[in-house]
Amino acid sequence: MSKKIGVFVCHCGTNISATVDVEKVAEEAKKNNPGVSYTTTYKYMCSDPGQKLLRDKIKEEGLDGVVVAACSPKMHEHTFRNASKKAGMNPYHVEISNLREQCSWVHPDKPTGTEKSVDLVRMMTEKTRKDKSLNPIKVPVTRKALVIGGGIAGIQAALDIADAGHEVIMVEREPSIGGHMAQLSETFPTLDCSQCIMTPKMVELAQHENIKLYTWSEIESVDGYIGNFDIKIRMKARSVDLDLCTGCSSCWQVCPCKKIKSEFDMELGNRTAIYVPFPQAIPSKPVIDRENCILMKDARKRNIKPNDSKVCRKCLDSCPIAPVKAIDYNQVDEIVSEKVGAIIVATGYKELDDTSMYGEYGAGKYKDVITGLQFERLASASGPTEGEIQRPSDGKVPEIIVFIQCVGSRDPAKGCSYCSKTCCMYTAKHTMLYKHKVHDGHAFVFYIDIRCAGKDYEEFSMRAIEEEGATYLRGRVSRIYKKGEKLVVLGADTLTGSVVEIEADMVVLASAMKAQDDAEKFAQKLSIQYNKDKFLSEIHPKLKPVESSSAGIFLAGACQGPKDIPETVAQAGAAASKVLALLSADELEREPVVAKVDRLPAPIFSTCIGCFYCQRVCPYGAIEEEDIKARDGSTIKTVAKVNVGLCQGCGLCAATCRSKSVELAGFNDEQVFAEINSVEFN
Amino acid sequence: MIEELRKKAEELLKNDTVKVVFGYGEGSVPERTRPVFITKPEDVNKLTWNKYCVYNLTTYLKRQETRKLGKPAIIVKGCDARTIIVLLKECQIKREDVYILGVTCDGVGDPLATKCESCDVHTPRIYDDLVGEKKENKEVPFEERYAELDEYEKLGEKEKWEFWQKQFSKCIKCYACSNMCPLCFCDRCIVEKNQPQWIDSSAHARGNLSWNVTRAYHLAGRCINCEECQRVCPVDIPLNLLNKKLAKEAEKNFDYRPGYSVDDELAMSTYKEEDSQEFFK
Amino acid sequence: MSKAEAKPENQFEPKIIAFLCNWCTYAGADLAGTGRKEYQANVRIIKLPCTGGIDPLFLIKAFERGADGILVSGCHPGDCHYNSGNYHARRRWNVFRPLLEFCGINPDRIQFSWISAAEGGKWVETINGIVDAVRELGPFESYQKLNTIGPETTGEATAASGETG
Repeated sequence: MSKKIGVFVCHCGTNISATVDVEKVAEEAKKNNPGVSYTTTYKYMCSDPGQKLLRDKIKEEGLDGVVVAACSPKMHEHTFRNASKKAGMNPYHVEISNLREQCSWVHPDKPTGTEKSVDLVRMMTEKTRKDKSLNPIKVPVTRKALVIGGGIAGIQAALDIADAGHEVIMVEREPSIGGHMAQLSETFPTLDCSQCIMTPKMVELAQHENIKLYTWSEIESVDGYIGNFDIKIRMKARSVDLDLCTGCSSCWQVCPCKKIKSEFDMELGNRTAIYVPFPQAIPSKPVIDRENCILMKDARKRNIKPNDSKVCRKCLDSCPIAPVKAIDYNQVDEIVSEKVGAIIVATGYKELDDTSMYGEYGAGKYKDVITGLQFERLASASGPTEGEIQRPSDGKVPEIIVFIQCVGSRDPAKGCSYCSKTCCMYTAKHTMLYKHKVHDGHAFVFYIDIRCAGKDYEEFSMRAIEEEGATYLRGRVSRIYKKGEKLVVLGADTLTGSVVEIEADMVVLASAMKAQDDAEKFAQKLSIQYNKDKFLSEIHPKLKPVESSSAGIFLAGACQGPKDIPETVAQAGAAASKVLALLSADELEREPVVAKVDRLPAPIFSTCIGCFYCQRVCPYGAIEEEDIKARDGSTIKTVAKVNVGLCQGCGLCAATCRSKSVELAGFNDEQVFAEINSVEFN
Repeated sequence: MIEELRKKAEELLKNDTVKVVFGYGEGSVPERTRPVFITKPEDVNKLTWNKYCVYNLTTYLKRQETRKLGKPAIIVKGCDARTIIVLLKECQIKREDVYILGVTCDGVGDPLATKCESCDVHTPRIYDDLVGEKKENKEVPFEERYAELDEYEKLGEKEKWEFWQKQFSKCIKCYACSNMCPLCFCDRCIVEKNQPQWIDSSAHARGNLSWNVTRAYHLAGRCINCEECQRVCPVDIPLNLLNKKLAKEAEKNFDYRPGYSVDDELAMSTYKEEDSQEFFK
Repeated sequence: MSKAEAKPENQFEPKIIAFLCNWCTYAGADLAGTGRKEYQANVRIIKLPCTGGIDPLFLIKAFERGADGILVSGCHPGDCHYNSGNYHARRRWNVFRPLLEFCGINPDRIQFSWISAAEGGKWVETINGIVDAVRELGPFESYQKLNTIGPETTGEATAASGETG
């Protein structure tokens, strides 16, 4: 039975009707087209009365197909589909002819625009004729979330979700949560102590009854789909039993390997081989650094189990736990499985440390040329110098410090074109911290631009210049070289047009925020997109800023791009609210634009021959294998099957299938065929 | 070599390794052979091997009639063995479900078949058992392998169009090409799909063009150029020219030749970020 | 087709069918509209989710339907909404285009391009470019005149096509 189709042509005020003869379009739609039983034009189809008209006519005229000739489907396809649904028609029988963006706005000649419009309406009418009813796909939801990364972004998101009553799994690859924020001394623009505001949150997280924390653990694999992710977590061998250990500190006090560069202190301080990264670590229980522990090294060299080596057992011997010690040299990695419904990725950033990129700044060979994060550790009361600004080479208090901004940022020649966003502010902060601690010291700052957009930010940076007396020089530094104990900084002051030469005691590079080294591999593991700089991509830069390209996976913090703490916290909260919405019901509804492999009666069962090209090309791993069995249990044939939970509706499988046994709902073979076959060009 | 083949076949049937042996038997005239399906050890003398064993017997791996006979041992030349590799990769057969009796080969046909002129698989690259003396698989340069295409590629646009229209106009849509092709294994060929009917099934110029182009395209990155389609074409359309052109493009653009390794990625189901896009604007 | 004032009477107006991905080029065409950028009206758009979902059969059908030229356009490499759809599409066209060329179809009748959602200007240039190029080539009569009657008259049709793609 052929469909009764209604065609509604919108004037869009005069946006369409000024250059398209809408009456003629409506008239032509009916002509030579027995399927079209009703046509009309209306001033604003998207308005309330416009939608009412659509609803009323669907009922009155008994329409079972609708073409709205209006603006781009990206604007109002959803609107009209919803209206049709309210009128009792399956919303997937609505198609949009894009007259505004494709005709009236781009073809000022009225007859031209009108004729093209007639064609576009015909194409959509023919497509509508082949439209099939589609129903939303219901997917069960595991009401539990995974947060990857335990920096401020992850902590905030996890707390928000847990506070709302849902279970949260947090995975952190370092021995402690805290991330970069725990390393900072004070934070801009208020200069409050970073750890003072961070550590209470860390404790709250650790004690939260809804949060399960995995530290020293990494994501091994992510399978499944929105609402139903299967996660495998690798708990790296800590060599310490977290249940038994009380964090009493006796082991790391006796450890003989004391000269290992501390990652937390940005290599400005030392730690032992069995260690907690910093005093307020959560959990405050140690881990054995297997690379550097002499017992582990010996065991590796002799290819024996660590416990069989007797080179050093000081930590074990010092452990007061009895009868079973909390230290287990033979511990191995363990894989645990978790099921969650949503994922927040909060894997953060790493500071540019590839000093070799900046040969002109000494490429890491001058000890007193340090990075921004190193300066944070120097200025931190819990840092290697207990907050005293001393230069790394000889511990002398520097009288002159030169700060260089945009190191690794805004420098396309070095392959990093983006702005790291935080450096202008943290450099201003550094000059202040320095002045507060070394009153007669002098800070020079080389900058390209000062970008301090944010509440109280501009005032903060002006304070650094006007009240704290930092000298800002607009220009780049071309070279740093050593002269005696001093570092000579050669730069340009482009405002006065002069060459500047400063004999400094120390140089601080405002190093860029980079994506994590393994960001690309990680993104591929989760099937989410990333940009050229390997920062993870949100699906829409404005309207979907925390959603990743994979449904059910959200982004928070600097893994998505450089950002400061307030922005990170806000984004984490946003991601958490998206997760909460997702976890608010036992089932979620998905758009039914998904692929389907045909199934037919015996003896064919399906025209699919099981070559599985579709499986190989599917970006989402949504194609599964299904054995079609005979009564005796033997396999007749193995064919492809689409997991609708995973399918995102790209149609790659359909175009790859030689026998056209897979089709994409909403863009099925007959629909596309009808569209192509109805082009007339008048 | 024939004796050795027969002995192997007998052994395989006797010890129940396989239920049937797909091989070549003598034809009605000495210059022809025909496929034989030996199910009894006493029949192995029907097997033969000579330069007229042109066919690619792997086509019988897709057919219901021959599949019903049970696990086969199949006699393959180096080129036919490439088909087996593609079939394995495309999940059409399982390795354990077929016994591959490879034969080394100096070329078949009289005169020598085109496919043999640039052969680099005198010894099959996959087999369970090899009959005949192992021969060196010497690499043949790219240009030489596709030399047959040169004269056609050189033609002007109009000449190309006219050449192929003349060829396609002969097509009677008998589908012998796809029936014989060991890699055309769909249960329902696209040409049989009628809702919607993408390809006109009538044998008119328009339908013939879309059929022949689609048939060839569906073999892109898969066809091993056994030339069976061309051999069986009752109206002598040089179908393998199209296949070969696609093979050349796949090799040129993706550095891919099908049927050489079971471990590679099928050309048309993968991509490289650096794939050519010179004609993209 | 109707013609703008400046165009000479009886000028051949090519028919172009464009297969676009939803996320980039379709949005780019929308942007050209929002920006009121004028371009030639010879194109009919067929929207699909992704260029990876375009079967070469669609192109054959478009020629059969009477298209003089075809545009296939999607997201730039690396920008695919579905991660890799455009890369797979690119592979397809890398073999399909030479195949058509080998059969005597002028490859200039099919254009492949990457146009992002931000490239309204590029959309306009691309459409005007292909319309002008195909206008130059003339109608695709050799294809359009392929007969659809039966094998016995095929020879006639071939002879009749004085012009080839």
